[in-house]
Amino acid sequence: MFLNFDNKNVNKTAVVDDSGNKATYGELISFRNLFYSKIQKRTLIFILVENSLPALSGFLASVSNRIVPLLLSSNINSELLDRLINIYKPEFIWAQNNEMLNQKYANIFEYFNYVLFKTEFQDTPLYDELSLLLPTSGSTGSSKLVRHSYENLSFSAENVAELFELDENHKAIAFLPIQYTMGLSVVMSHLYAGATVLLIKSALTEKKFWDFVKDNEATSFTGVPFSFEILHKLRFFRMNLPHLKILSQGGGKLSEKLFFEFAQYARDTGKKFIATYGQTEGTARMAYLQPDFALKKIGSIGKAIPNGELSIIDAEGNTIDEPVTQGELVYKGKNVTLGYAYCSEDLVKADERLGVLKTGDLVKRDSEGYYFIIGRLSRFLKLYGFRISLDEVENLIRNHFNIECACSGTDEKMFIHITEENKSQDVLDFVIQKTNLFPDAFKIKVIAEIPKNETGKILYNDLEECG
Amino acid sequence: MDNLKKYNEIFMEILKIDENQLNEDLKIRSVSTWDSIGHMSLITAIEDKFDIFLETEDILGFSSYIKGIEMLKKYEVDF
Repeated sequence: MFLNFDNKNVNKTAVVDDSGNKATYGELISFRNLFYSKIQKRTLIFILVENSLPALSGFLASVSNRIVPLLLSSNINSELLDRLINIYKPEFIWAQNNEMLNQKYANIFEYFNYVLFKTEFQDTPLYDELSLLLPTSGSTGSSKLVRHSYENLSFSAENVAELFELDENHKAIAFLPIQYTMGLSVVMSHLYAGATVLLIKSALTEKKFWDFVKDNEATSFTGVPFSFEILHKLRFFRMNLPHLKILSQGGGKLSEKLFFEFAQYARDTGKKFIATYGQTEGTARMAYLQPDFALKKIGSIGKAIPNGELSIIDAEGNTIDEPVTQGELVYKGKNVTLGYAYCSEDLVKADERLGVLKTGDLVKRDSEGYYFIIGRLSRFLKLYGFRISLDEVENLIRNHFNIECACSGTDEKMFIHITEENKSQDVLDFVIQKTNLFPDAFKIKVIAEIPKNETGKILYNDLEECG
Repeated sequence: MDNLKKYNEIFMEILKIDENQLNEDLKIRSVSTWDSIGHMSLITAIEDKFDIFLETEDILGFSSYIKGIEMLKKYEVDF
């Protein structure tokens, strides 16, 4: 069964959430059976997710009953939700009880604050191996979804559990939204291992977050770069968290300074700092850096996860065999998803990738086979004929000046957005020196704040507007 | 009174709100801009402008406009 649920200790606590709800593995299995009795077939369901027991129970019950969920944020605006419902035609919706849905749809049954709603749609055709749909972006309003297979989910859960050496004594801090691939990876890998998942709705910056973590003696923390910036700001290194054993990072590039400080902190306190690399298209994790190498390979994403394979291709698509090289990162493994969906008809499509994912990330590989991300291939400018990575320039500035920075631009000019006016000239001089280009190739723009989304990713589209 | 003016300007600039919103109802997540990103931006700006270094418990306890004033008094910022 999904995540090995039939081999679990039924009395073991599987999920605790910060609203005070709890469930054992046995209770999750009972709920799974109840859920199926209300739906009784393979069909499409939308789940409006918050990090809570009823939301997660609906996801687990769906996948283990071969009901295909699309996970969306419970904060989704109603126009976007309506648009997605009209495009994909789900037969059911699992969501917090609310007036808008109650007026439109039939209420089938309730569980805590969640309700199963029935829409007017039915029998949307689905590819037999399709297990799960996730949006490619949180809130931009795109209808583009990532299609996962059953094998993707089980392979990912099993191999991520293995690389973190998870067992049933672990208790994961699950605060990343579970509709986000990395958040889901935390949940699935820990449940696969028979561990306990601590679902948290409150933010890292709230006292109740840390009270919940301490009361439940959490053993692992997984965050994105912005989470680590907050931890650092919160004087995390001075907090007393004796039960915490694993600090794991994914979802983008951490600054070298923070990478080093967290790796050093982990070494000094007997914890593990594990940097990882992943994408929704690869069911989250595809690479990780063994904790013993964190201080030797600062900024590296390490090597492939167990049973996966990394390689580099050149611009023509040929694999480069020489160890020290750079090019586009390619991943092979059973966690590579089936492909995208843009409309309901795409849900019958079979596997379009066959286990191979061109990541779109430019990387370099060192003589010992460790990989380092340089930037997105699409984020390049051709300035005076030279190809320059916007991400690479950004990282150079961030690491050198320890300031916030976001680069954008055209093939005529690169715009370097910073928030500290007194650094303008220094940044300009630095970039000219690093790139050997002319001052005319760059424009420094001082703005009040770098626009970011809720997980701290820079919103480059908003940047153009404030320029 | 200069400190109150400084404190208010930080809130108005970072949370993009008007002066008449600066009252006892202004709390974390009561306006959309006071999320975790907004919170960290407020902390950074307060530390810079008042030249202080906040402790963890204060960063976590700083949950409203009023609480921030009480917190700053502890750091010997007079209002």
